[in-house]
Amino acid sequence: MNTTRPNTPSTSPGVPLPNGPILTASNLVKYFYEPEKFQVLKDISFEVRRGEFLALVGKSGSGKSTLLYVLSTMDTEYQGNLAINGNTLTGQSQNALAAFRNQHIGFVFQFHYLLPEFTVLENVMIPALKMRRLSRQEIETKAYGHLSTLGLQDQALKLASKLSGGQQQRVAIARALINDPSIIMGDEPTGNLDSKNSQLVFDIFRDIVAAGHQTIIAVTHDEDFAANCDRVLELSDGRLLK
Amino acid sequence: MKLPINYQIAATYLTSKVKQTIVAVLGVTFGISMYVFMNSFMSGVNVAQNRLAFSTLAHVRIYNDRPVDRSDIVSRVFPPGTIANIRNGKVIKYTDGIKNSREIIRYLKAQPLVSVVTPEVNISVFFKNAGNKVNGTLSGVDVAGEDQLFNSAEFMVQGSWKELAYRPDGIFVGIELAKSLSLKVDDNLNILTADGVSHTYKVIGIFQTNLSSVDKAKAYLSIAATRQLLAENQDYVTDIQINAVDFKKANELVNILAPVIPYKVESWSMANKQLEAGSNLRDIIAVAVSLTILIVAGFGIYNIMNMTINEKIREIAILKAMGFAGKDIRKIFLTMGIVIGLIGGFVGMGLGFIVSDLVNHVPFNVAGLATLPMSYDPEDYILAFSFGLITTFVAGYFPSRKASKIDPVNIIRG
Repeated sequence: MNTTRPNTPSTSPGVPLPNGPILTASNLVKYFYEPEKFQVLKDISFEVRRGEFLALVGKSGSGKSTLLYVLSTMDTEYQGNLAINGNTLTGQSQNALAAFRNQHIGFVFQFHYLLPEFTVLENVMIPALKMRRLSRQEIETKAYGHLSTLGLQDQALKLASKLSGGQQQRVAIARALINDPSIIMGDEPTGNLDSKNSQLVFDIFRDIVAAGHQTIIAVTHDEDFAANCDRVLELSDGRLLK
Repeated sequence: MKLPINYQIAATYLTSKVKQTIVAVLGVTFGISMYVFMNSFMSGVNVAQNRLAFSTLAHVRIYNDRPVDRSDIVSRVFPPGTIANIRNGKVIKYTDGIKNSREIIRYLKAQPLVSVVTPEVNISVFFKNAGNKVNGTLSGVDVAGEDQLFNSAEFMVQGSWKELAYRPDGIFVGIELAKSLSLKVDDNLNILTADGVSHTYKVIGIFQTNLSSVDKAKAYLSIAATRQLLAENQDYVTDIQINAVDFKKANELVNILAPVIPYKVESWSMANKQLEAGSNLRDIIAVAVSLTILIVAGFGIYNIMNMTINEKIREIAILKAMGFAGKDIRKIFLTMGIVIGLIGGFVGMGLGFIVSDLVNHVPFNVAGLATLPMSYDPEDYILAFSFGLITTFVAGYFPSRKASKIDPVNIIRG
């Protein structure tokens, strides 16, 4: 299983901008107000290149997850400016951001967070069914494509809750890929997996990046994982070290 | 599987926890079936009550009321302080009965709101059989018209209603009256009028209306025989009884007739406020009880929806992370509420019908009824269904709004 390698994705992603960074964060500042006012992000600015495999590391409480959720557009209570793919996202409405996430961002969380009442195939298809750019038949074909790349084609019609942890995380990756997002964000994507499955997930990420169209930003405290990324950003007390 | 994704998710949530869904559906079903049953029963009771009441009561009655009291006529004409000495002042009634009754009846029959008109001659009499005397009302009736208006023939226990028309010597008596005077069919009954005229008739029938005030003190003669008894002319009428096309339109009809007809025009509800009050109170009770049931069912749905949303709070956050907007989430949970309402509504209407039909077969031998009364009015069913839908919509709306406001970051980060 751990020798499985995803092939080059057959479909091209969105509208690629030939030059320029895929993600630009400028002067991000964020406070927590509970239990007391606390500055968790302090003037963070950086860019991410298209096709880069970036790791966000830092000690617990350094603000790395908080930064990821700001970048993900889910957390909108920050100061500064965020642009992805040339679109300024700061100040946009929740509905517009939801539509943007649907199209441009794929998520892989520490826990798989699949919908347990749906089959594996349905879980993978849901973001694409939401986007409604392709017909159901095309989406299904595409979902099968991703599942077989990840070695899960035999599990497609099982309920998501019946799979093992490693399998579920791979289903979550297939789900993140279904809309050909420009960026895939991972919050400790290997944090809950054994070393064999961690390696497997890392290899999948590597192959995704190798295809050249998609960018990965992953929060991790796994040193091996970080060491093998293209670039590592380290946070400490809300500041960027490197 | 061809549904848009929001509906597909709603469908999956509904079918993956079938027991919970069934409990929610049953809540609505129960509310709606009770609503249907209560209203059918209450309007059945009202219909039975009205049928009973209108067996002796016309929708509108025209009669010659007593003249206005004018015994203080002196003070109207002379300045105050005038000393007058009038002893034993009398108010003289110039006419008895309704003048020109033929013209009035012809006019009434031309009214579009009027369905039946029948003239009556009603007088107070003593019924005498040997030593026994009972006072009561003698009603001289147009035999065919009276039957059209009150279905009088239905109430005959002995004898045939139509016979009255051919027997100027025949009289029908109420069943209680017959008992108290020990009368049987073919016995003689002596009538004594207020003017002192005495006449003997032959009992040719006995009726029972189930209204004891009527059964105890009423007898029927043909209208011609009554006129003869009173030595009155061929147009003499004391009351004109009218049925409107709908008893609820009686007051409307009174408003049309009262300005035109120079006699007292009175609707059933003016004369019998208690009937109208009873009917309205029953309606209010029915609505109050069934609304209470629906509200309780609504809270049940609200609870179940809230529970479902709390259970799925993490999945809602995931859906939002994947790009579902607040309105999509709201649509998912509102759809669940509405589907529960629709299923519960349809099953509830069916169950309501079954319960109504069962209760309609319960024997109830009182006042001429055989079983408990029940009406089957589509309006009740439609109202119950709409109330049920509104309740589930409201009960589903608030939890779904809460779900749409869930902040994914807080949930996912834990």
